[in-house]
Amino acid sequence: MTASAPSILSLVLLAPLAGALGLALLPPAGASPVGLRRFSLAVLTVQLLLMVALLFRFDPTTGQMQFLEQAAWLGTLGLDYRLGVDGLSLPLLLINGILSLVAVAISPLSTPRPRSYFALLLLISGAVNGAFLARNLLLFFLFYELELIPLWLLIAIWGGARRAYAATKFLIFTAVSGVLILVGFLGLALATGSLDFSINSDLSQQLGLGTQVLLMGALLVGFGIKIPLFPFHSWLPDAHTEASTPISVLLAGVLLKLGTYGLLRFCLSLFPQAWALVAPGLAGWAAVSVLFGSLAAIAQTDMKRMVAYSSVGHMGYVLLAAAAATPISLLGSLLQMLAHGLISGLMFLLVGVIYQATGTRDLTVLRGLLNPQRGLPLTGGLMILAAMASAGIPGMAGFVAELMVFRGSLLTFPLATLLSMAGSGLTAVYFLLLVNRAFFGRLATEPDGAPPALLPLAGLTKQAPAAVLAAAVVLMGLWPQGLANLAVASTSTLARPTSGPSTTMASANQAATSDFLLEDMAHGG
Amino acid sequence: MSAEILPTPFLLAPEGLAFALVRLAWLIPVYGFAGMLLSLPWAAGWIRRNGPRPAAYLNLLVTLLAFVHGSVALVWVWGHGPYDLSLPWLHLLDLQFDWDFRLSRFNLGALELVTGLSFLGQVYALGYLDKEWSLARFFALLGFFEGAMCGVVLSRSLFMSYFLLEMLTLSTYLLVGFWYAQPLVVTAARDAFLTKRVGDVLMLMGIVAVSSWAGSLDFDNLNAWFQDHPLGPVASTLMPLALIAGPTGKCAQFPMHLWLDEAMEGPNPASILRNSVVVTCGAIVLLKLMPIVTISPVAMATLQVIGGISAIGGSLVALAQVDIKRALSYTTTAYLGLVFILISLKLSATALLLLLAHALSKALLTMSIGSVILISNSQDLTELGGFGPRTPATTTAYVAGGLGMTGLLPLGCFWCFGLATHGLASQPWLAAIVLATNTLTVWNLLRQFRHIFLGSPLPKTRRAPEVNWLMAVPMVALTVIVLVSPLLMQRLYPVPGIAAFPTHVTALVAASGGLGVVIGCLQPLRKFMSRSIVKPVRLMQDLLAYDFYTDRVYRFSIVRLVSSLAQAADWMDRVVVSGMANGVGRLSLASAEGLKLGVSGASQTYVLTVVAAVVLLLLVVLGRGG
Repeated sequence: MTASAPSILSLVLLAPLAGALGLALLPPAGASPVGLRRFSLAVLTVQLLLMVALLFRFDPTTGQMQFLEQAAWLGTLGLDYRLGVDGLSLPLLLINGILSLVAVAISPLSTPRPRSYFALLLLISGAVNGAFLARNLLLFFLFYELELIPLWLLIAIWGGARRAYAATKFLIFTAVSGVLILVGFLGLALATGSLDFSINSDLSQQLGLGTQVLLMGALLVGFGIKIPLFPFHSWLPDAHTEASTPISVLLAGVLLKLGTYGLLRFCLSLFPQAWALVAPGLAGWAAVSVLFGSLAAIAQTDMKRMVAYSSVGHMGYVLLAAAAATPISLLGSLLQMLAHGLISGLMFLLVGVIYQATGTRDLTVLRGLLNPQRGLPLTGGLMILAAMASAGIPGMAGFVAELMVFRGSLLTFPLATLLSMAGSGLTAVYFLLLVNRAFFGRLATEPDGAPPALLPLAGLTKQAPAAVLAAAVVLMGLWPQGLANLAVASTSTLARPTSGPSTTMASANQAATSDFLLEDMAHGG
Repeated sequence: MSAEILPTPFLLAPEGLAFALVRLAWLIPVYGFAGMLLSLPWAAGWIRRNGPRPAAYLNLLVTLLAFVHGSVALVWVWGHGPYDLSLPWLHLLDLQFDWDFRLSRFNLGALELVTGLSFLGQVYALGYLDKEWSLARFFALLGFFEGAMCGVVLSRSLFMSYFLLEMLTLSTYLLVGFWYAQPLVVTAARDAFLTKRVGDVLMLMGIVAVSSWAGSLDFDNLNAWFQDHPLGPVASTLMPLALIAGPTGKCAQFPMHLWLDEAMEGPNPASILRNSVVVTCGAIVLLKLMPIVTISPVAMATLQVIGGISAIGGSLVALAQVDIKRALSYTTTAYLGLVFILISLKLSATALLLLLAHALSKALLTMSIGSVILISNSQDLTELGGFGPRTPATTTAYVAGGLGMTGLLPLGCFWCFGLATHGLASQPWLAAIVLATNTLTVWNLLRQFRHIFLGSPLPKTRRAPEVNWLMAVPMVALTVIVLVSPLLMQRLYPVPGIAAFPTHVTALVAASGGLGVVIGCLQPLRKFMSRSIVKPVRLMQDLLAYDFYTDRVYRFSIVRLVSSLAQAADWMDRVVVSGMANGVGRLSLASAEGLKLGVSGASQTYVLTVVAAVVLLLLVVLGRGG
């Protein structure tokens, strides 16, 4: 350790890991689920507070890594303990902090084996922190893999009926993703003959373009599976359908972002030349992913599957923006990650509430849930908000992100951008179908003609996590400047130096004194 | 700007106070949104005591506040000239997105129209939705609606206009879907949202492109930039087309007109605003875009075609409706079509006057129709009749609204039609469209009038009383406003005045109206068998009554295309993508199973395999060494 006191990044990383360890070892065998959940909540609150402290000490004017920490670990392997944070990782860290807390808060107390359940949740949170903080390729890989195991267990043990299939599929896909990423990292070391696994774009400059493309291709497919992009997305809908609600929230909100983060942090910044070479193809891939995800979502009848496919579509925007790699588009891609994290987290949460209350997620069965006496009006209201945010209605998070993505990418890849925008129109189609089918209309009567069953009204305290996420979605939509300030320096350093034509102000901002219509009127229409 | 030459505002002096209010004009849209937030406790059911009325009162209060604030600003601007306000929203790199307000006579005048009609509409709603248990939700949505509209009319940047137009789309969806339990409402809300969304997405494409090329989204800068832009012919044609898609959807123009008619399933007080000021908002955005759009000849021609089809088609379709709300909503499409034509020829002042006259009379007509629906519980023309003598306020309102909306007597639209016909004299067929719309509308309104107010009372109308005062007062107030609207218009358009057209044009307009009266009076009305038994007539009637089967055309084209693409994507996902993944899994399992069978258990085979492998390895190594 360079500093005498443990530095703040290590604290952020260690807090949930220590919490997980504590949960696994400390409590007596018969500890109550309430106590266990409280303990986890306390740990995650501490983590979030540490992150907020980090936020206040963070200097947003520089695009460089800050709060650097370094300790030798396995030097002979090139594996060093190097942490750092910049404007790209800090917002993602915060999302992880918020959504982990939400996931624990909405975990039902009836969960079997609560001790291992909460310990695994904390472990995921810690591992994700580690991946976002790592400044060493191997360290990143370590945390990237570390997060898989608890997630696999959480799906395989606490999942739904077809959990074995889903968990195995998840494991195989992401294991392949891990292998490809490792191949990419090790291949870089092998090709350059250097054991310096730091994030350094100079390394790849020594290589031929062909080698670069090959190595980056491995990383690209590896992260593409995680994001997931068409056609590697097949694991996601299954994993979501079988995972319990809190796990779905984490999976959609945080874990997919590891893939997109990797795309920016490693593919783009390690291999800028190769990236520029394949960027047009990537933009096309993004458009295909967007359209495919959106169209497939329209055909779904399971709400969770629908939201899962929407993730495939919306992650396509991130790839599009990353391919364009202009300062604006890269900021857009980060904003899109955050917006998608908040919105899809909120949606899975709400779907979970509906599933718990009605026992089904089938859109051909559900209807009339907006009914104020017997339905779920608050959930319905928040669902409409989430759907609109996802469709990119201004005033909510999705719009800002999409605007930046499209604005940043249009000049570089016009066709792909326009196709992606059409995909954003399709988002409105499927989420409107969801809202209209599940919430509008009359409540279904019971088979014997009796009035519909009274759904258990969730109290305000139970709805608090959803309300908090919804508030965050609106806040980000109305006041994006804060997030943008935080991130813009870092995302701009990632941008390709020779990005598309720079925009110019058309004319000086002359204050127009004339009212053209009035003028027009004066001349007789 | 005139603002800078003023001394520091001195709050106590009336002049200083007015200027302070002008500088706080950005609050005007906020009032509406605040009204929504204030209504939430009642809308969400957190406060159940004493009913939801306080939410309505709060919204009325903020609307009044917006109106008064706007009036003060208008008076100031009338004396001092326009004033610009700008609040930052998102500044980064070379991007600037701001809340840009322009306080001009035009914008503030439109604001007064919006807030004034909104106020009357809300009082009316209190009466109309008297027993509605989710009254608070309705008013919360109205607040949202009004805030968005106020912002649209005050904006001077494309960004802000788009931002708020989208909010308007959302609030329209929620207002149309207010009675969400009814099946027709569900489809109506869906269609309203998706149709407008298509327009909005196209418009966003245009905006993103403009923003990338021109940098600034301020209307003035855009106009200046567009005068000598560096774009190729394709881009400079496509961009204006994309930009007009938004207003086309918002103003319910062909081919995006279906939603307005379906949206009539929503509560009537919301229809009052939707048919008058919401469509006006869309047209105002188009007006502000006019200098850009009209540079492209293709876009100009498109506007004329859209407007022409909407005007004539809308008027014809309206004639065949038996639902009184629908018969009225199609005339909105028709009138906005005329506005599109006027805008395409840069007759902005005439367009503006027409928007004003139309908004006032259409709001009044919708109010009157709403009264009829409330007191008779029916909106089917064939079930109504004989209201005339017993409902003076409703009848007067209908007559005044109808006269205000047509070119027959010298009320609002008469002058607009005169100006329009005169202005379009160089393009006779466009002028003919204006006159034909006038004839058809007179015919339609007269037909409705005879159905509803004349004739003998029918079972549903026999005991219907006049509406309560909460509905009657705003209706009468608006009747008066419509009757004096020519004075208002003259004041807005002093040079050369609203009567600046020759006598023969006056005669033409009056004659076209008179023709409508003649046809409308002579048309035989049947309550029973209103669908003709003469086959050609019936085919024609059905064609119009079903709006040229546009919804069916859509269902068999776009809807089917998207849904089959979705099915194809889903099939591909299940069979090809997942199938491949599962196939790989099955293959590895099967090969493992197969290998298992090959294991004999005899140690000789193992030793043989090992020896063979070692020999092979040695050979390879030696071969390479040698």
